[in-house]
Order: sequence, then C-alpha cells, then structure tokens
Amino acid sequence: MFGLPLETTLLVFGFPLLWIVYTAIFLLVTRDWEHDTPEEDGR
Amino acid sequence: MSTTVIFFLVLYYVVVLGIGYWAMRHGGSEDLEGYLLGGRKVGPMATALTLQSTSMSGYMFLGAGSLGFSQGYWALWYAAGDIGGGVLNLSVIGRRMRKLSQMFGALTSIEYLEKRYPSPAVRIFAGVLTVFLLGFYVLAQFIAGGKGMALVTGMPYPVALAIAVGIILVYTFMGGYLAVAYTDFFQSLVMLVGVMWILIAALGELGGLTAANNAIREVDPTLLSVWGKGLGFEGQWGIVAGALLVFSIGYLGWPHVVTRHMAMSRPATARRAGLWATVWNLFFVPTPYIVGILAILILPGLDDPEMAIFEVAGSLLPAAVTGLVMAAIMAAIMSTADSLLLQTGSIASRDLYERFINPQASERQMVMVSRGLVLAIAVIGYAIALVEPPTVFKIVIFATSVLGSAFLPAYFCAVWWRRANTPGALSSMVIGAAMAFTWEYAGYVETTQIAPMVAGVVSSTVTMIVVSLLTQRIAPVPPYIVEVMDEAATVGPIPKKLLAATDMSLAPEAAAIGAALARDEEAGRD
Repeated sequence: MFGLPLETTLLVFGFPLLWIVYTAIFLLVTRDWEHDTPEEDGR
Repeated sequence: MSTTVIFFLVLYYVVVLGIGYWAMRHGGSEDLEGYLLGGRKVGPMATALTLQSTSMSGYMFLGAGSLGFSQGYWALWYAAGDIGGGVLNLSVIGRRMRKLSQMFGALTSIEYLEKRYPSPAVRIFAGVLTVFLLGFYVLAQFIAGGKGMALVTGMPYPVALAIAVGIILVYTFMGGYLAVAYTDFFQSLVMLVGVMWILIAALGELGGLTAANNAIREVDPTLLSVWGKGLGFEGQWGIVAGALLVFSIGYLGWPHVVTRHMAMSRPATARRAGLWATVWNLFFVPTPYIVGILAILILPGLDDPEMAIFEVAGSLLPAAVTGLVMAAIMAAIMSTADSLLLQTGSIASRDLYERFINPQASERQMVMVSRGLVLAIAVIGYAIALVEPPTVFKIVIFATSVLGSAFLPAYFCAVWWRRANTPGALSSMVIGAAMAFTWEYAGYVETTQIAPMVAGVVSSTVTMIVVSLLTQRIAPVPPYIVEVMDEAATVGPIPKKLLAATDMSLAPEAAAIGAALARDEEAGRD
C-alpha cells in the first residue's frame, strides 16, 4: 500500500489502528465513569 | 527574515500572553491549589491537549524530522508507541490518580508519592531527582527556543533567548497551572495546523505518498524498510522495544505529565480526555517523521538533518504560512518549557522548601516562593543556555528515560497494587534511576542493543515487586491508605469522611489520626 513493503505498511497503519481500537474499548468499558460526580457532593 | 513571518510570531506571542492574563483573572493564582493545579477544574479537551503538548517538546520538530530524514520509515517505531501514550496514561492511572490525590490532599506529583508511600525519604529522593532532571530538560527547551527565535528573526542569540525565556516566565507567573494548561491547549492547535500544512505542501510537491515512496525506493530501498537505512537496526528488538516504550508507557512515569491527572475537573474527565488525546495524536505524532522522510527527496543536499522541517517549510510555503509554522515550532518548545518550569518550581517549593525547611508557610507565601524559585531557575537556565553546552540535547533525551525508569512502577502501583509499600517504592526509584543512568554511561546500549529505558523499567519493576513482598511484615501498607485506594477504585463521589480526613495541610500521620477520629465520630452518631 502506498508503495511500501508489507511490514512497513503494518507499522505505519497497523499501530494507529490498534490504538483506535484500544481507545474505543476504553470508552466502551468505562461508560459508568460518567456517574462520578464532583467531590463536593460527597456521600 | 520576512516581516510577515515576524508578524505571525508576534501575533502568536500576544495571544499566548492574553491567555495567561485571562487565566489570572479567572482565579488561576488566588491560592496554592489554584496556582499549582488550576483549582482542579481543567476539562477533558484541555487536559488531553496540555498532556500531549507538554509531552511533545521542540524535539518533535527537530529530532523527529531528523530521524525520518536519516533512517526513513524506521523512525515510525517511535510514533507507533507515541500515538497511544496519552490514552494509555489516562486509562491506566488517570481517574484513580485524580481521586487519590484529592483524598491525600496532594498538590504536586511528588507530594502524592510521599502520601501514598509515607516516608520523608521518598519525597527527598523523588523531589531532588525530579528537580535535577527537569532542570536539564528546561535548559534544553530554552536553548531550542532561543535558537529558533534567532533563526526566525535574525536577532543575536542572547537577545532571542532572553525574549523566549521572558515570555514563558511572564505567563507562567500570571496564572500558574491554569495559564500553562490553556496556553498549551492553544499551542497544541497551532502545532497541529503548522505541521499538517507542511505535510500537505510536501505531498503536493512530490505528487502524493505513493509517488514519493517510489522515488525514495530509487534513492535507497532500505529507507522504506522497518529496519532503518542500510538495515542498520535489523533484528535489534531491544532497541525497537525502547522506541515503542519510551513515548507510550514512559509517560506514566513523568512527574510533570502525571500532574495533569491531578488537575482534572473530575475523575471521569480522564475518559473523554483519552479520546481527545488519541484523535490529536493520530494526526500530529506521525507527521513530523513523515515530513522528515519526504525531505530526503525535497532537500537531498541538506547538511543538518535537524533543520529538515524548518527547511522544507521555508522552501515550499509562502511567508505567511512559514510564520505560522515557525509559531508552531516555538509553541512546541514553549508548551513543554512552561510546564517544566512550573513543575520544577512547584516541586522545589512545596516538596522541598515547605516540607523540610518552612512547614508553617502560608498559601500566599508558597505561591510567592514558587514564583521566586521559577524566576531563579529561569535566570540560572538562561545563564547556562548562553554557554550552550553541546551535549544538552543528549542529556535531555536521556533524562526522560531516567524519569520513566525511576517513577513508572511507583505511579502505576500507587493506584493498582495495594501491597506496594514504602521500601518497595523507594528502592524501585533508586534502582530504576541508577540502572538507566549506568546503562547509558557504561556503554551497555552498544553491547546489548537494549535501550536504557527498557533496562531501567524492567529493573525498577522487579525491584518494586520483590522488595514490597519481602518487607510486608516489617513495613505493611497503612490501613488508611488501603482504604483510600479501595475508594479510588470505585465509581462515585468521595465520602465526606475521607475528604475531611485529608486536609491540605496535614501530614500523612496526621491524616491517619484524622481518619480515625472521623470514623469514631461516625460510629458515635450511629
């Protein structure tokens, strides 16, 4: 792709893809974090 | 130098100073927490961008371009780890560190370490090591800023250096952390626009990425490989691991970067900040390396590879855009320098002066002392930068590896491992720093082909685990620390009794007494 060898293509595009997936999973599994409220309202 | 270029630079400085003034008017320096942590009210986007722009110094424009120009696509190993550095940092320690630091009443990342691993020795060692290493890091940013200004304006180096240092000082003074965070936010946008503009111009000049890569193949096909020019790094996985780790997990151990977690408006800010960090990194991080690679075709006779991005900008862009690009380069340098300066001043005043010299200092006095120390560090830095020590860039890159090696396990285990105790943390910091230092200066990199960061992090991690386990009986983790760690793991507001028990002025021992009193009081009411 783009005139690059396969392993270079994986380096250039594979790692960013990996981080996109990581970020998506992070957002998915931490949906409940939004329930964190400011400490001033502490229970 | 074109007056248009200078106009854009002046415009940039005016905006930066304006933001500093705004931060001052919005309570950025009214008390110690306001000055050091922006009153803990920084939102997700500003958190992400101050984290990223602080991590990415002027070296991204000098070193990354140089690496791409010299080694071709091998340089992208550094970008591969760096793209995820922000979200990794925020997802692994962000939310819990924000919560723990509030419960501990910690205002600096070193104070946080002492309150999690109660011992004055932790604070002295971590404080002195950090001030020393960040001091060198600041120095290099001053030199880079002064040289950049001199190049752009044609002014003599000492004058250009004084202007660069002066502007950083003025807005750091005006609003403390809030000024730094919001100027970083603005500067990160300038950096992104500047570097993307150069990339688009370079690709336009060369007929697109595929045509450029085909042309590079004609020059030297090994430049397209993942092993560097002449396949010089073929099979050297220890070096590759270092390149991947230094800017990904390495950030977890940088005290001036993890402070960003403590200043978030609320623990959940880490979540959306992680998204912003990844988005910004995807566009910004690989670009300087790729521009450096394209410079192989655009500037085949370039003498100094570190000037690749400057020269590509100068040769392809109109004066107005070159001015923007020069502002972006100065932004990268200054956004790191201001954070380093504030952190160095904060740690020296809060963690060394107040903790060990004048424990009775009032908040107003502390802000003044911090400002005085920032000024002193800047003056000393300016004086040394005038001499231009030739090895300073090497020392700085090395300093970041030592910081990561010393502090990574300490910050990670502070939130994730309840059995991580004071002897484990202290010995981990000492061994990690010593190992990274020795690895570099004993020449082990050449003989083992393993980066100092890898050796340092492995040794500090093993030390943390082994020493903590061996000393559990003689130095158990205090119950109140286990309690706040458990609380940090939960999602929801912090119980009032834990907030009440950790007044800002209390030492860890007093905090323990406070926690016990609060529990007794609650039991009495029941």
